[in-house]
Amino acid sequence: MKNTSNQTQVQQPQLPQGFSGESLKTVAVIAVLVLAFMNFGAVVNLMVNVLIFIYSLVGHNFGIAIILFTVLIRLLTWPLNAQQMKGAKAMQDLQNDKEWQGIQKKYAKDREKLAQEQLRIYRERGINPFGSCLPTLIQFPILFALIPAITYAIGSTPLSLLKLSRSLYGFQNAAELVPLNSRFLWMDLGLPERTIILGIGIPVLALIVALTTYIQTKLTMPASADTNDQSAATARIMSIQMPILLFFFSVNYASGLAVYFVASNILSIIQYAMMGKVNWRNLLPGGQK
Amino acid sequence: MRKRFLIVGFFLLAAVLLSGCTGATVWPGLSASGEVAYLANTSAVHAIDLKTGQELWKFTGQGGGFLNTNPSLFVTTPIMTEDGLLIVLDSGNKHILYAVDTKDVNQEQKTPNVAWRFTEADGHWIAPPLIVGNRLFAPNSDGKVYVLNMQDGQSEKKAIKAVELSSASQKPGRLWAQPVADDERLYVTSLDHSLFAIDLESYEVLWNADLAGAILSSPALGSDGMLYVGSFAKQLEKFDPVTGQHQSVLDTEGWIWNTPVVDGDNLYFSDVEGYAYSYNTATGTLNWKVQLNQVDTEKAITASPLLLDGQVLITTESGDIYEVSPDGKADLWHQGPEKGKSYTTPISAGGYVLAAYIESDYYLVALDDEGDVKWTFPTN
Repeated sequence: MKNTSNQTQVQQPQLPQGFSGESLKTVAVIAVLVLAFMNFGAVVNLMVNVLIFIYSLVGHNFGIAIILFTVLIRLLTWPLNAQQMKGAKAMQDLQNDKEWQGIQKKYAKDREKLAQEQLRIYRERGINPFGSCLPTLIQFPILFALIPAITYAIGSTPLSLLKLSRSLYGFQNAAELVPLNSRFLWMDLGLPERTIILGIGIPVLALIVALTTYIQTKLTMPASADTNDQSAATARIMSIQMPILLFFFSVNYASGLAVYFVASNILSIIQYAMMGKVNWRNLLPGGQK
Repeated sequence: MRKRFLIVGFFLLAAVLLSGCTGATVWPGLSASGEVAYLANTSAVHAIDLKTGQELWKFTGQGGGFLNTNPSLFVTTPIMTEDGLLIVLDSGNKHILYAVDTKDVNQEQKTPNVAWRFTEADGHWIAPPLIVGNRLFAPNSDGKVYVLNMQDGQSEKKAIKAVELSSASQKPGRLWAQPVADDERLYVTSLDHSLFAIDLESYEVLWNADLAGAILSSPALGSDGMLYVGSFAKQLEKFDPVTGQHQSVLDTEGWIWNTPVVDGDNLYFSDVEGYAYSYNTATGTLNWKVQLNQVDTEKAITASPLLLDGQVLITTESGDIYEVSPDGKADLWHQGPEKGKSYTTPISAGGYVLAAYIESDYYLVALDDEGDVKWTFPTN
């Protein structure tokens, strides 16, 4: 019996040395990302069909369909966002940890040893250093697929209408649904938004996207008293880069995408607020300090 | 810190590259007059010498404004007037209809001067306009047909009438197809599943009929005096032009995208499933039906057939052009470029067949009567 017990112990799956459960999660997320990029067309088609299904339910209003679609995406990625917040908090706490600060000083000139010690602390405390950014990564395929999905779904040009005809699943009554009503507020959701002021096309919605993205990143930025806190520094960089990135997207692509960004930013703020993570003081000048 | 910058930089790059996966969303418009072909190809309208394939001039519109945030987009088939003005439509956000003077070309800048323009439309220009006498009928995506007097001498045209077309359906009344006219009426199709008949003198809507699917093509006036139009409902419909009464005369395999071409009693048209059809309007029977391509991503036929000396030439999405015999036997007449697609109706001009492509090394090819390439634009 003793022998059998030992055999059982030996047969239990063992992770390679230095390979934690968190690493498995990382691999899983990367695998999902790779699969999504390999089957990009299928992801786009799925999104097109979900969008049009919602559209058919909400009285043929594509703007509302995009907002509800955003809510759906937010609900589906809620656990990932929660993990992101948890990961960010753990990393931030670590920056203020005395042992962590100690090894930074002690091995400042020995990068290999420093890396070993950092890994040890990560393992001991069950922290995944990518825990805060992997959930963000997994949202990129959603974002990339959403661009063609909205363009095809609205079919504001003949070719995008042809692509739509190929994307629709059998259960959708394509002949009845096409063309989709792409008007929402003052916009045609299938085209980049411009409001002509004094003969100049002003991308008003793109500016709203940049503003809400800035506010969202500021509000959700962790408070830190340490000026050398790397995660806080990264968050500060992101608070500038993300609005620029999303502004770029919004200026150049269908305004339906910009509606998604604005809705997503607002929902993100709501989610953080519900979890008590919103830092309203960050909006004030000098509020981060 | 540097790593974090790199990560963000990587995603910026990935965003730019992957967002390009949407591919082209428009295809070019093509027409010809005399010895010149006109190709509306996204950022410009090119005038191309039919003998050589060389560009004579190009028209790029009024520029894209501050940081090119409002670029022009030319994709609608240019239309030539009797007095040498080329009607060019900017399908971008500026919604401008230009009449450029092909006889008044700035030789330094290689661009024609604008004779007049029209800026009152609220929507995008997709449909080519129709010239009837000295009037221009221009359907717009805002659901209106703008009627312009081309001889009023105005450089900033005002519409003499904006005929608003709204049907009982709640669909947006986008007008994407060139109208057709007989002596009394103008016929306009709409994406909102409707066909309208408008009195050419009073501009009253005489009747409108609702089909079960969107209509992207123009109606064809058959030799029997009836109107024939296909739709996304996968049916060819026959209309009485006086009353608007209609009936389905043929079921098709896929959405009908193109305008039927009339040759005596025969109509030729096709669908997005790659099938081409010949229908006899006198007997009400199908002459033949043939599938030209079965590959999902290249089988659609959006271009109307081209009749050429008794030949029926049909272009598929793959860029290949087939010749279909009177008994429905299809042979490859011209193999399209290795890379590229074609959705534009080919035309016959200057002794050549001209075919336009997207996502290809060239935008336009001139083919002789054997289907062999004589020149391409731009020249390789």
